[in-house]
This record gives sequence, C-alpha cells and structure tokens, in this order.
Amino acid sequence: MGDLVLQKIAISGPTLASMIQRLSSSPADLDGLLFGHVTCIAPSALSDDSVQSTSDSQLVATISSFLSFPSLLSFYDSLGRVDSSRLTLTNLNQKPLIGWFSFRRKTPLRPSMRESSVTRSLPSNPQLYLPVQNASSESLFAPSIFLLFTTPLQDQFIQTCQYRAFQFQSSNLCFNPLPIDIVNIGPAFRGHYGAFSPSSALPFLNCELKSSSSVNECRNEENLFGMERIAKDQSELDMCAEGMQIGRLNQLIGPEAVNYTAGLEDLYEKMLCKIESLATLVEASSAKVVEQENHNRKLRYKVARSAGLE
Amino acid sequence: MSLDGFPPFISAQLHYLINHFPDKIKVEQVLSGGKTYTGGLDRFTLLIPYCLDYIKWDIIYNAEFPLAPPDIIFGPEDEDFYPLHMTGRVGEGDLKFRSILSDWNYKDPTRLLALIQELRDRYMAYQKKRVGEVDDDRLTFEISTICSREGIEMQISSGAEKPEEVKFAVPLMDMNINKMVHGCPWRHPQKIYLQVIYPVGKKYASTPSAPRLKLMSTTELRALFTIEDVKLPSWLDGMCMAEYLPHLEESLQKQVLEAVSLIDIRRHFIEALAPLFGRPLEADPVFCRKATFLASSGSFVFLVHFHISTLFPKQQPALMLQSSQHISPQGIPKKSSLLAEYPWSPRWEASQMAERIFDFLADESLNFKRFCNESQPQH
Repeated sequence: MGDLVLQKIAISGPTLASMIQRLSSSPADLDGLLFGHVTCIAPSALSDDSVQSTSDSQLVATISSFLSFPSLLSFYDSLGRVDSSRLTLTNLNQKPLIGWFSFRRKTPLRPSMRESSVTRSLPSNPQLYLPVQNASSESLFAPSIFLLFTTPLQDQFIQTCQYRAFQFQSSNLCFNPLPIDIVNIGPAFRGHYGAFSPSSALPFLNCELKSSSSVNECRNEENLFGMERIAKDQSELDMCAEGMQIGRLNQLIGPEAVNYTAGLEDLYEKMLCKIESLATLVEASSAKVVEQENHNRKLRYKVARSAGLE
Repeated sequence: MSLDGFPPFISAQLHYLINHFPDKIKVEQVLSGGKTYTGGLDRFTLLIPYCLDYIKWDIIYNAEFPLAPPDIIFGPEDEDFYPLHMTGRVGEGDLKFRSILSDWNYKDPTRLLALIQELRDRYMAYQKKRVGEVDDDRLTFEISTICSREGIEMQISSGAEKPEEVKFAVPLMDMNINKMVHGCPWRHPQKIYLQVIYPVGKKYASTPSAPRLKLMSTTELRALFTIEDVKLPSWLDGMCMAEYLPHLEESLQKQVLEAVSLIDIRRHFIEALAPLFGRPLEADPVFCRKATFLASSGSFVFLVHFHISTLFPKQQPALMLQSSQHISPQGIPKKSSLLAEYPWSPRWEASQMAERIFDFLADESLNFKRFCNESQPQH
C-alpha cells in the first residue's frame, strides 16, 4: 500500500498541555502511544479574511489523546521491534492508533536508532490501519506518526519543552518533518470545525422512550443485538437516575413544575455527592500508584547501584 | 578523565570503552536525563575517530532503567543511517550486532565497546555505499581500484553551502612502527595516512580537477617523525590513486626507516656530551629528543636543556639555559631564550659537536649570568 502523505498534524491545546505536563513530571525518559484520527480537509473557500488558500485538500492527522508507559521497552524490544501481540485493538480499547511519541531530556531533536526502528515497525499490523475521514476514495492510514520531545541541553529558569513531529515514509525509509498546528479558535482553523467529530469515550445512549419501540416490531437480528445493548445501557442509566424516568421530564413544563424542581435538585445533589466520592477514590488510588512507582524506582536504583559492586 | 557522577554500571562500561578502543575516543557533554540529578549522569556525546576526523554520536542510557541497552542518536548528516533496519540480505555481522542489543547485560562492562565497534563497522559500510552511489566516473574508477586496500575509510560530505566532496583516508605502508622503536611507549598503533579529497565532478566540466592531498599521522608519532616535513610528490593530470600511492609509500618507508635510525645518532650525541658536562640530570631514553645537564661557570650554577629535533644532525640542537640561583618575581627560575645559532656542522663527529657546544656555552654562560644579575631587583 502506498503511503498517505500528511500535510500536517493538529493537536488541541489542552491535549498538548496535558502531554507536556505528563512528560515534565516524569522522573525519567518516557514514551507512549498517540491516538486520534486522520481527516481530509478541504480548505475554506471563504476569503473575507486573509487566509492563504490552497486549492488541494489537505490530509491532516489530529492527535486527540495519548497513553504513556511508565517504563522503557514497553511495547517494543531493545532492537526497536514492536510486539504486535501487545498492540491489538482489544488491548488499545478500540482506540484509533495513529503513532507514538518519545520524550528524552537533554538530547538532540532527531530520531534515535531505536526510535526509527520502532516507528518503522509500528504499522506492521494492518488491523490497526484507520480509514481516512472525508476522503473521496476509500483509503487507509497506517500509524506512522512520531512525535519527539526533549529539553534544552542547559538547565533553564523557565521549563522549556522542545518538540518536533515526523511522519515515517516506508517507501523511501525517511522521516518527513511535519508542521504542528495547535488547534485554537480563529479563522485559520475553520476547516477543523467543519470536520469536527466528538470523540467521547462514553457509550452512546439511546434516550428514546421505551414505549415507542413497540411501534415497529419487525426488526432483524442485528438490531435485536443492538436493542439488548440499549437495554443494558438504559438499566445502567436507571441505576444512576434512581427511579427518575425520562417521561417525568414532561412534568417540568406547566403548573406542576414548581413542586417538581425540588425532586430534581435533590437528584442533582445526590449525583454531585457521588461524583465527589468518586473523585476522592481516584485521588486515593493515584496516591497508591505514585507510592508504588516510587517503590519501583527505589528497587531499580538498587539494581543499578549493585551492578558496579560485583 | 574523571567519570564521577555516573551510576556504576555506566561508568564501568565507559571506562572499558575508553581504555580498550583501538583509537583515542573522547567523551563530551555529559548530562543527566532525570527530572532531578538523583539518578546520576546517564547521557553523553562520544567523539569517535573516523576517516581522520571525528563522528559525534549521542549515547543515551537511562539511569532509571539500567536493564535497557543505551540508545544512540547519530549525526545530523547521517539522517538515513538506520543500522537496526533489516533490508535485503542479513549478514553475519548484522546478527552479531543485533545480538549485542537483544542479549544486553548491563553488568558486563565490555558491552558498550562491542556495541560501538559494531556500529562503527556498520557506519563504514553505510558511507561506502553512499560514496558508491555518487554519479562521478572518476570516483567510481578510484573506488573499484583501491577499495580492497585494508583499512581504507571514506566519507561523503555535503552541506547546503559547500559543494559535495568525497574524502578518503588511506592508511599507508604496511609496517608496524611501534615495533621498530625500542622500548616503545605508545599505547595505540602509530600510522601515517594520506587524506585524499575529491570534489564531486560536475557533468559538464571537461577535465576533472586534482584531488586535495594531505599527509596526516597519529599525534604521538611526532616524537619520531614530523609528517609536515615530507614533501608530497606532485599529482599529474589524469592520475589515479593506484598509480600515486606506490611511489609515495616507497619514499615514506625510506624516511621512516631513516627517522628510526636517527634515534641512535641522537643517543650517541647525548652520550658524547657526558664526558664534558657530566651525567645528564634527565634524558629522554626512547626517542632521545631531550636531555638536561647541570653546568657551572665559576660559582654560577645553571641547567642546560638540549632540544634535539627529528632532523638532527642536519639541524643543530636548540639550547636553553636555566639559572639555579635566580628567580623571577613570579617565582619562576630565570631562563634564556632558545639558542639555535652557534657554530655547527652536521659532518662533525659527535665528540666534536659536544666540544664545540661546550666551548660555545663557556662564553654564553657569561652573557646569561650578566642577564640574570641585571634583571635581578635591587635590594
């Protein structure tokens, strides 16, 4: 399959910021996977502002999330060969993989020997290829993006993070540097908003009233399976709603509403409490994770020190 | 060099590399990759000799993960050097190189050396392939005729500003100079190289221009032989390296043999000084390039330093007098300037040379004494 050549990479400000936060708080070098989607963007033809317009449509990869690993050699070995059994759709939680990133402090901003090998073998599993959105013809994108982060050689008063994006071209075995757009509000990003698709991790909930489903009884098996899922989602939602049904929302309109808002507010309050307790749970568990990470570090440290004594 | 600040497993490997690499290797830009410095230093730049120059490779260990082998970033000019990519035939060397990384044992101090040596071999093959791809008839011919020479290294250099050039480092003469010097102190084998730089021909140029030639030697060889004194035979139009090298090697071989025989002449000269000046306080026993004697003129006691060049006896020794009684305000003993102008003939016997110098110094010591006393601060 021929390479699909990207014109640029887009990343939203918050995603980039959370990545940099993750990197700069890491005690050592770090790497991980990048998720997102690839879109064919037709440049806006409107020109009441000074946007340079190109006639060709552009292929843009958008990084929407990432996953970092706490240790080196996590999904590849010391020769940079990707272990494809670890990168399956199930392992990745069905997330669309578009590439990977590496962060190493105080090093040149060029791909290293191992990094180029990992980047080259990342697209080895065709199952992970992504369909390009908005494309005129059916085309698949192989995860070939490499995002490299480093810090300046000299320590600085201001924390500085340097980064550079590449696409690896398997046809001529070279890294093609790519510009990075940090998606923001403004005329330059109109194309992005046209092609925006929400990528929420929450399941799609069918809020249709149950009674209405009985109207069309004749459904094929595939939809039956779909209905089972909807029923399961609904029961999960009902558990949160504590008997509050969607039909009762009707009561919010009209004269009865005044009595009814109190009940609704009560429900909100309970939900907020739940969220709060969830937050404390998360806090406690991440404290445990940090503790474990520190413990691991100390163990590794011991190993490193012991080597010289033998 | 001090290797403090590295975790023990890195410093053991780096020490071993520096002490066992066949050539002089330098370490620069030693840094720590941790958020804080608690983990210790774990990344540095290695300057590895290649083609009479250095290639700079960044070696990146990870103090937090000692079990992982180091990663390497190559120079910006070698962007498409991917030693880990397997393309086409897998040779024995490839397998050996890959096994170094896949069976990495951080406790084994020899690993970094093995890795760097294998990578350098891979780099040599990569440069050879690149040079071979250059579209230039003369270069293609040169490579086909001298490629089999052992130890030849080549490199292509191209930048945005400078024109493309191909550089060859040709080791000359298959002789072990280290073995020829009695009591040889050199740790690395001493070699003489010819550097040949070919501009890559423009297709429309009618006659290819002559390559730039330069003789180079390992630095320690200077004690025996000054490479700058060798006059290169001229490069005739239409010549090729295979024609040029045999003549050069023949004449160089003679000169090196002569330089080795000159050691004994210098030794003989120093021995001839002893009956007049007494036993030397200090003398260079291997190359006989330096000797220091204690002398006196009346109550004035001073040292005489002899600096004997590699061209001795054609070139007379340079002398320097150093007073044992006069000290400058900075606390340094008073010294004369280098004395290299005095009666001399290379045809004299060693004993006559010694006598003439002795006579010359008998007069010169008076001048030196006066110089020392004059500049002495008045009390």
